[in-house]
Amino acid sequence: MQDGLYYSREHEWVKLEDKLARVGVTDYAQRKLGDVVYVELPEVGKQVKQATEPKGKEMELGAVESIKAVSAVYSPLSGKVKEVNQALQDRPELVNTSPYGEGWICVLEPSSLDIELKNLMDAGAYAEHLKKLE
Amino acid sequence: MTSYRQARWVGEDGLEPLVFELGKPGRTGYTLPPKLHEQLNLPKHLIREKLELPELSEIEVVRHYTRLSQMNYGIDSGIYPLGSCTMKYNPKICEELASLDTAAHIHPYQSEETIQGALELMYKLERCLAEIAGVDRVCLHPSAGAHGEFTAMLLTRAYHKFRGDGVRTQVIVPDSAHGTNPASAAMAGYEVVTVPSDARGRVDLKALETAASERTAALMLTNPNTLGLFEDKILKIAKIIHDVGGLLFYDGANLNGILGKARPGDMGFDIVHFNLHKTFSTPHGGGGPGAGPVGVKDELEKFLPVPVIEHEEKRKFYYLNYDRPHSIGKVKAFYGNFGVLVKAYTYILLMGASGLREVSEAAVLNANYIMRKLLGTKGYELKFDAGGPCKHEVVFSAEPLKRETGVGARDVSKRLLDYGMHAPTYYFPPIVSEALMIEPTECEPREELDRFVGALKNIAEEARSNPEKLRSAPTATAIGRLDEVKASREPILSWKMYRKHRA
Amino acid sequence: MPMGHPYIPNVREIQTQMLREIGAASIDELFADIPSKIRLRRKLKLPNAMSELDVKRHVQTILAKNKPFTQMLSFLGGGVWPHHVPAHVRDLVRRSEFLTSYTPYQPEVSQGMLQSFFEYQSMICELTGMDAANASMYDWATSLGEAALMCARVTDGRKFIVPTLISPERFNTLQNYVSGPSLELVKIGYDRQTGQLDLSQLRKELGQGIAGVYVENPSYLGFLETQVDEIAKAAHEAGALFVVGVNPISLGLLKAPGDYGADIVIGEGQPLGNPMSFGGPLLGIFACRDDAKLVRQMPGRLVGMTTTPDGKTRGYAMVLQTREQHIRRERATSSICSNEALCAVAAAIYLASLGPRGLRELGEACAANANYAMRKLRAIKGLKVPIFNAPHFNEFTLNCDETGMSVAKLNAELLNQSIHGGKPLRDKFPELGETSLMCVTEFHTKEDIDHLVNALAEIVG
Repeated sequence: MQDGLYYSREHEWVKLEDKLARVGVTDYAQRKLGDVVYVELPEVGKQVKQATEPKGKEMELGAVESIKAVSAVYSPLSGKVKEVNQALQDRPELVNTSPYGEGWICVLEPSSLDIELKNLMDAGAYAEHLKKLE
Repeated sequence: MTSYRQARWVGEDGLEPLVFELGKPGRTGYTLPPKLHEQLNLPKHLIREKLELPELSEIEVVRHYTRLSQMNYGIDSGIYPLGSCTMKYNPKICEELASLDTAAHIHPYQSEETIQGALELMYKLERCLAEIAGVDRVCLHPSAGAHGEFTAMLLTRAYHKFRGDGVRTQVIVPDSAHGTNPASAAMAGYEVVTVPSDARGRVDLKALETAASERTAALMLTNPNTLGLFEDKILKIAKIIHDVGGLLFYDGANLNGILGKARPGDMGFDIVHFNLHKTFSTPHGGGGPGAGPVGVKDELEKFLPVPVIEHEEKRKFYYLNYDRPHSIGKVKAFYGNFGVLVKAYTYILLMGASGLREVSEAAVLNANYIMRKLLGTKGYELKFDAGGPCKHEVVFSAEPLKRETGVGARDVSKRLLDYGMHAPTYYFPPIVSEALMIEPTECEPREELDRFVGALKNIAEEARSNPEKLRSAPTATAIGRLDEVKASREPILSWKMYRKHRA
Repeated sequence: MPMGHPYIPNVREIQTQMLREIGAASIDELFADIPSKIRLRRKLKLPNAMSELDVKRHVQTILAKNKPFTQMLSFLGGGVWPHHVPAHVRDLVRRSEFLTSYTPYQPEVSQGMLQSFFEYQSMICELTGMDAANASMYDWATSLGEAALMCARVTDGRKFIVPTLISPERFNTLQNYVSGPSLELVKIGYDRQTGQLDLSQLRKELGQGIAGVYVENPSYLGFLETQVDEIAKAAHEAGALFVVGVNPISLGLLKAPGDYGADIVIGEGQPLGNPMSFGGPLLGIFACRDDAKLVRQMPGRLVGMTTTPDGKTRGYAMVLQTREQHIRRERATSSICSNEALCAVAAAIYLASLGPRGLRELGEACAANANYAMRKLRAIKGLKVPIFNAPHFNEFTLNCDETGMSVAKLNAELLNQSIHGGKPLRDKFPELGETSLMCVTEFHTKEDIDHLVNALAEIVG
C-alpha cells in the first residue's frame, strides 16, 4: 500500500486530488484476483453511493475480472464519476502491474467528502485490516 | 497400465491445422441428386455473393476429425471422476436404438397416429422417472439440467401466483450449490438468498430458519449435496420451508447416490429435476445434448409445460394434450430431447428395479473406498465429516499439500492427466479450498480405483520431491498448459477474428 | 457365484473385499445416515432387468409404431427439417472420444472437442456474417429467449419487438424467458398480400426503451422478408439491437444477416448434420458482432484460440467464463451449462463436407423443389399456393378455403394414401383460414412431389 491514500474495507484506494478523488483497487485485491483480463468501467456521469452493508448496485463502480473470478469495485465515496481510465480497455493488466499508478480505475467528484472520509482507513489501519484477513 | 501418451498431431502453428487451413478449391465431401430446373425469382439484394467455408474432400474431413478425436479423452478412454457429473459408462445398445429410423426420422408435427411409438416411449419413461423420484407427474421437455431448474423456477412462480401470493420474491440456495441453481433462479426473476453450510458440511439449520420467511418461494437443494454428504436433517429442512409456505426443489444431479435407496418425493420435495446424461447414462457428448426432465407432486401438475402426453385407456391411444389452461406454456420448441430420452429409457430397462439400486450401492461403495484409502495421506484432508460415510462422491482438500509444497489442487489435477486419468473437478464446491471433487461412479473396477488412489499418493510425493513436475504438467497430453489469461484478454473466437488478429 | 452386471464390474465378492478393507460391515452401513422414515424399503415398481437382446426387441417394437420419414412421404417443416446427413458425419460424431467426453474443462486433454467447437463457431460466423458465435444453445426457441434477455442487458430497454407471424412455439418460449425481468413483447403486423412486416407500424412502436427488433428470415411461413435493410436502419436509429432468426440451410444461397445490419443472429442448426429426432436434440445457433459490449453479454460457452505460454503452439480453451454460471452464479448471463455440444460438432463436420458450393447447391435444390411443388399445386383448382405474394425459400403456405374442405380433412385423406400433409395453421393464425405450412427439401424427388400433387388433385377434385 501507499501512504497519503485512504482505503476502504473492500480494498479500494482513494487519492484526493484537489476537489476530486482518484479511485483504484489495492495491491492486495489485484494479488487475490490474479491476472486481470478485463475491467468493466463505470459510465461517466454515473451517480454512486459510498459502499455500506447491505451492498447495492448504486455502490458499484464496475468490476475487475480475472479468468476465474469477477470482483465488483465498490465506491469508497458518494459522488459522480467524472473520468474513467480508458487505457484499461486495451491493457487490463495495468491493474496488476501498477495498481496505485497507471491502473487507476476512475476519478470521482465526491458529494460528501468531509463526512465520508471518516469511514475510510489510512495506510496503517488498512494494514491492520489485512492482517486480520490472513 | 504403466504409462500413457495421448495422440499428438503436430502441424505448422500447433497441433492439427484448423479445417479452414485444409482443402483446396474445387474439393467437396458431398454429393447431391440432380436438381430440378426451376426459375427461382429470389430478390437480388438477398442473394449471397460469397461464402468462406473450406473445401475438403471426404477423406480429408474424415482424417481431420478422426485426428481431433484422438486428441480427446472420454469415459471410454479411462476413469473420469468428475464430481457431480456422474461420468458412467454409456451402453452402446442405447446409441444403436436412438439411431433407428423409427427414432431419428420422425417429425414433431406429425399427427398422433403416426408417432404412437414416440409418445408411448416418452409416457413410459415419465412413469419410470416418477416412480424413481417418488413424484406424481413428469415433464420431459427441458434439454439440460439448468433448463430443468429454470422450468422448476417457472413452475414455482406459477404456483405462488395461482395461490394469489405475490410477495414470494426469494429463492434460497446453499453456498455449496452448483452455479446453475442461483443462475436459474435469477433468470426466473427471483432474488437469490444464500445460506451457509455448517461444520458438518450440511445446510446450517439455524441460518435456514432465519432466511426462510413469507418471501421464500422455494429452497433449491441437492441431496446428497455437492460434498457427497447426505442432508440427514432433510425432514427438518422440509418442515422449515413448508411451514413458511415455500416449495422444496430437488436438484437431481446427485441422484446416483441414492437411486433405489431413498426418493426425493418421500423426503418432502415438491419439484425434482433429473439429469438423464448423469444418472441415466446418456452420453455427455462433450457438453451435450443431455436432458433435464422435471417431476412434480400433484398440486403443481396443472402448471406443467404443454403439451402433456396422455394415454386413452380404451383406444390404447397416446395423444398430446394442449388443453391445459394453467400451464406455464413452453420452455423450448418441442417435446424434449427425444434422441436422449430413448437412451435413458433403454438404460432403465437394462438395469431394472434391482439393477438401479445396485448402481447406487456400487457407486457409494466405490466413493467410500476411495475416501478411506486416501484418508490419512499427508497432503489431502477431508474438511467435513471425516467420521461418517460419504455417498457417491467425496471432496478432499489439497490445502495441506499447498501449504507444504506450494502446489495445490490445480497442479495435482494437471499431473493426473499424465497418468492417463481424467482429473476430478477442482476448486468446487467453493466452500472447500483447494477442493478435489471425486465421483468414481459404479462403473469403475476396483483396480482402477486402486490405481487412482495410488496416483494421487504418488503425486503428493512428487509435490514434495519435485514440485516442478506438477507445475509443468501435463506433458503426456496432446498439448501442455495454455495461456488462458491471454485467451480471455484478447478473445479470438472465430477464424474471422483470427484473420483480423493476424493482419 | 452370481454373475455381475456388465456395467458394474465390482461383483459381490469384490465388494465384500472392499468393505472389509475400509472397515464397513455392509453396504447398508454406508446408507445408515438416511433417516429411517425415508428409506425406501421396497423394490422400485419398475420392470425387472432385461437382457440387451430383450431390451432391443422391446424398444424396437415400441418404435415400430412410428411412421418415420423414410417410410412415409412427408411435407412437414416449420422449425425442424429433413435433410440427408452424409454417412461419414454420423460415423465421426459417434467416435467415443467425442461422444463420451464431458465439457472440456481440462483443455490439455480435450483439444479435439475444443478445436471442433472453434471450427463450428467459425463456420457459423461465416454463414451468418457475425464475428463471434457460442458453442450452442438448446434450440432456436431458447436462443430467441436468450437473445431478448441479452438485448435488454445491453440496451437497458424493456421492450422486445417480434413479427406477428413468428413461429408460435418460439413465441411461447420467448414469453417464458422474458418473464424473469418482465420485459414486454410487442407484435408487429404484416401486409396481408405480401406477408412483409408492416414498417409503418414498426416505426410507430420504435420509441424509447426498445431493447431489440426481431425478424425471421425466411419467415416461419416460408417467405423472405425483403425489407430487412430498412428494418435494421429503423431499429438502430431507435437505439435497439437488430436480431435475425434463420434456417442455416438457406444461408448457402441467401445473404448473411450480418450483411444487412444484424447485431445478433440466432437460428436452428438441426438441419446441419443432425436428424429431426422428433424435435430433439436440436441446436440453437447464437452469434453476434465483435463489439465488446455484445460479446461479453453473450450467453453460452465460448471457445477461444490461444497459445502455450511460450507462444509457440496454438491451442484452444473455454474463454470468458466469467459470464457463465459456474463463476458468476446469480449474475451470470444465463444459467446454461450443458448445451447441444455434439450436435454442434456434427454441424461443423457437415459444413466442412459441403463447403460453400455444396451448401449453395443444396439451397438451390431445396428452393427449386419447393418452387416446382408450388407451381404444380397452385394449378389445382381451389388451392391457393402460397398465400403470400413474395419470394419463398423451401417452405410455403397452402390454402384450401375455396375447396370447401378443411386442412384437417385434406390431411386425413392424404394420410390414407400414406402421405403426411403440412402443419395446419388455423388454430394459431385463425385469420389465415384453412392454411397449412409445407416444406420441401432435397429429400423429395420429382416423383414424390408429383405423387403429392396427384393425390391432392384427386382429393379436392
